[in-house]
Amino acid sequence: MLTRDELERYERQIMIKGLGEEGQEKLKRANVFIAGAGGLGSPVAMYLVAAGVGTIRVVDHDRVELSNLNRQVLHWDEDIGKRKADSALEKLRKLNPRVELEAVAETITEANVARLVAGFDLIVDAMDNLPTRYLLNKVAVERNTPFFHGAVYGFEGRVMTIIPGKTACLECVYRGRITPKEKFPVIGVTPAVIGCIQSTEVIKYIVGIGELLTNRLLIYDGLNLKFTELQVTKDQNCEHCSHLPVKSKQ
Amino acid sequence: MSIKINVSALHQYTNGQQVVEVNGSTVGQCLDHLVKQFPSIAPCLFDKDGKLHSDIDIYANGKSTYPEELAKMVKDGDELHITFLIGGG
Repeated sequence: MLTRDELERYERQIMIKGLGEEGQEKLKRANVFIAGAGGLGSPVAMYLVAAGVGTIRVVDHDRVELSNLNRQVLHWDEDIGKRKADSALEKLRKLNPRVELEAVAETITEANVARLVAGFDLIVDAMDNLPTRYLLNKVAVERNTPFFHGAVYGFEGRVMTIIPGKTACLECVYRGRITPKEKFPVIGVTPAVIGCIQSTEVIKYIVGIGELLTNRLLIYDGLNLKFTELQVTKDQNCEHCSHLPVKSKQ
Repeated sequence: MSIKINVSALHQYTNGQQVVEVNGSTVGQCLDHLVKQFPSIAPCLFDKDGKLHSDIDIYANGKSTYPEELAKMVKDGDELHITFLIGGG
């Protein structure tokens, strides 16, 4: 049941056909795990908190550095040196105090990933490296938890939504390949675009409206302002998801 | 046969052209023709043994060419898309 305050706060999105008060209640009851509070994690967390997702856990082990501030908009000049988890929590609480928020300053590893995501119904990939993405993809598949992938480089981005057992997963598409561990170029508007698309997918999934970005890898080319959609399919030999019975397409 | 290749971020090696027309019956032949037109693009696509870099995926008409990749047959009017694995966030 939404309070009078919530009805007013979310009035403009409740007006959306197909969302309504029922959709807003679904958002309120939802819980989302966000892996990363950096370039992608900032817009993802901000827009999910603003939209009224009931419970959110953000995990990031880093501390805020000056060179983060061109894109990681949850962190400000005054936050340099603080843990990103603390900095993120402070801003997000101010943005919407009605959301139950938790920020965890831990590195996501094979040893703790299952514990960190336990109890969460959705996982958002806002990481800055592929090995951790594969860990999250694997645990999402094992737990049958929808997984929302995003990645950026320069003015380019990628987005894909994964529904375990129904659609291609990250491993199906990338096959465990990694990129060299190095500082990557990026301008803040790119993770802003990609993170907002991820948040859109999360909201659509929770509310149950629209068509999800499943079995499709969306390529964003900011320089030419073009979106390209590439078809991806479930790999029958996928190390992460091929053991799952194929369910009807999402 | 005329095939169009979207070179993605590699347009800096193709005089700014995002889409380049090439000829070939396979993805490999099309990439060879691309390299013939723009030789400086070669190291971005292939290693010193002529193998496609592992962080590259080639899509034909929006579908992945894996596992055939370079051996994948193409036909007149097909469109190829070069994509790179990215992992930033």
